[in-house]
Amino acid sequence: MKILVAVKQVAALDEDFEIRADGKDVDEDFFLYDLNEWDDFSLEEAMKIKEASDAEVEVVVVSVGPERVDESLRKCLAKGADRAIRVWDDAIEGSDAIAVGRILAAVAKKEAPDMVFAGVQSSDQAHSSTGISTAAYLDWPHAAVVADLQYKPGSKTAVIRRELEGGMLQEVEINCPAVLTIQLGINKPRYASLRGIKQAAAKPIEEVSLADIGLAAAEVGSDSSMSRVRRMYVPAKGRAQMIEGTIAEQAARIIEIIKAHKGA
Amino acid sequence: MVTVKTASALVNRAIKTNDVYCAAAVYGIATHKKRKILEILMFAKRKDALMLARWEHTPAAVLQALSENNAGTVKLDNAVTLRLDKNPNTPAQALSNLYIESIKDSKKNTSLTLLIAQHQHTPANVLASIVQFDSSLENLKAVSRNPTASGQVLRCLVEHQPNTEMYKVFDKNVATNPSAPADVLTLIYARGDPFSRAGVIAHTNCPQSLLEQAVNDSELLVQRQLARKCSQLVILARMAMSKDTAVRCGVAANRNAHRALIAHLLSDIACAVRRAIAMRSDLSAASIKRLMNDADHWVRLWLGRNPIVSRNVLKTLSADSCYEVRRAVARNPRCSVALLEVLAKDQNAWVRSAVAYQLNAPKRLMVALARELDIDVLSGVAANVHTPQRILQELVVNPDADVRRGVILNPMAKRKTLLPLLEDPYYLHRLLLVGNPMLKEKDKWPLCEDPDFNVRFAAFKWFAGLNKLAERFA
Repeated sequence: MKILVAVKQVAALDEDFEIRADGKDVDEDFFLYDLNEWDDFSLEEAMKIKEASDAEVEVVVVSVGPERVDESLRKCLAKGADRAIRVWDDAIEGSDAIAVGRILAAVAKKEAPDMVFAGVQSSDQAHSSTGISTAAYLDWPHAAVVADLQYKPGSKTAVIRRELEGGMLQEVEINCPAVLTIQLGINKPRYASLRGIKQAAAKPIEEVSLADIGLAAAEVGSDSSMSRVRRMYVPAKGRAQMIEGTIAEQAARIIEIIKAHKGA
Repeated sequence: MVTVKTASALVNRAIKTNDVYCAAAVYGIATHKKRKILEILMFAKRKDALMLARWEHTPAAVLQALSENNAGTVKLDNAVTLRLDKNPNTPAQALSNLYIESIKDSKKNTSLTLLIAQHQHTPANVLASIVQFDSSLENLKAVSRNPTASGQVLRCLVEHQPNTEMYKVFDKNVATNPSAPADVLTLIYARGDPFSRAGVIAHTNCPQSLLEQAVNDSELLVQRQLARKCSQLVILARMAMSKDTAVRCGVAANRNAHRALIAHLLSDIACAVRRAIAMRSDLSAASIKRLMNDADHWVRLWLGRNPIVSRNVLKTLSADSCYEVRRAVARNPRCSVALLEVLAKDQNAWVRSAVAYQLNAPKRLMVALARELDIDVLSGVAANVHTPQRILQELVVNPDADVRRGVILNPMAKRKTLLPLLEDPYYLHRLLLVGNPMLKEKDKWPLCEDPDFNVRFAAFKWFAGLNKLAERFA
């Protein structure tokens, strides 16, 4: 039995960042890279299934990105993932979430997992569509924003609870194999043990090219994407007003503002 | 594992790691020659220079070097300067250099000067210079709020403004600036609006003469502050009759308030007034008796926490229907062992947790509480100095990080108990162990190669401090 966990190395913004000269992204110097928070929960969910199962379960993490992504994949290996795959080719640069979904689906076809987990969204781009587009390319059932999962390896179905508006949960039975996008809080992700980190450093990361997964350069990248970034900018500041004066004066002013908004 | 014995060996070791964080940790103990090598390691990449300029743990000496661009490795661009100006560790000399650079620049960057004006390490002469030569209102306001501004700088700000509007702006900030001297406060009180006057009366440097003058100030904001500081019993008695709850609260919290006045306020309609009384350190037996039966549970809670109440009172409060009151009793430093034994069996885990943290709780109670499953209780047991080592050794492998952290924070945890925690998965735990006096140098040395940069930095910094000390006494 195999679970494929799609993970992403996300870029957190340092404060007072600068936009790149082409105006399409932030200057690389201002990025701090880390594993996407949602993916930590996806991996933990896969690890929980693996650890609770009597049958052998293989957890494989996959990511699309350049060499720096290895650091995040090693983090997953340190937490117990059995294998790590990184897909990269310069032609992938500029791919949107749908194109990345196509790549992940190609990996899934090759790996033939019983389940695919992905995070609900990535903290840097927040498209919330990579997991779902992967399911579409695989033509598999999918469920988004999964807050609870009951699944036994080998089962033909899984019962999931999806998080909806207003604190509601929707309980769904889904046919397997399926693609699930996992929500924060579904579990408590573990910290990697020092032993795990040391072992992960020695484990190989499988570098996979487009040809290895049966894709051509023309099928990825910005040209084959359905959306392209035109520009990135910080909008003009809003109507924020600094309240000054002594503490009592600031409190009095806040009360005035609240009363004005309430029409009192 | 062999640790290094000299500062030079430690610096060489840090250089060998080629790690920015290790380099930053040992920079302060390096020789001039080795500093040049470390500077290249730390500042060669702009990304690293930006990170170090921003990181809250970057040592002052590294920030100083970055501001001087000693190695000539990084262009001191606006982004790096901005971070240096913002970093709370940036030392006075670096800020002074950055200020000089900013005024040399014909296209003077006002936002950078603003950051210098509000930085707590900015030297007094730089702040004085800003006040004297800078015309930006925002920069001057930043100086007026800066607690490190000298009395002279603040005096200059409030005395030499061209018009009333400007006075008002600075008066308000200076009135709440802890460095404001008495004469400046007197000036502000004389011309200030009610907010400024209230700020002056609340100020720790407010002279007695102003407190006496404020007795005749009819403004409610001023009266609220005065009620907390006034020592005239007649005035306090008048204030105790105020219609304003905050004024009466001020009297209830005032150390000078007479017992009779406090007894009068015991029947105050406002809970906030009675709560303030319950925290007093001079309560009479009669007052305590009244407060014990107060309908507001916060009043009883504050009484339960009050270290002056007798053990009999604590015993009564330990049977309170509200668990927060019972918890307050369990936290009280005067709580007896007998009472702690009762509270250790309380149905509410939050109460039992307070017992577990209580310094008066004996070993046998810790042994009993260690059988619990509740995380808050176990965290308290782990942190308690009376817990036997045998139990601490069991808690070291608890799956909950809070419990394991309790053992790390326990000053009685012995070396043998702590050793397994050096491999704890949570990086913060390993970081906390760097400074633990129970562990030997050889135990801590592997932390210099920890996968987490925070731990590596802390370990190298700890060894740097150790070597600096050793060489001073060599």
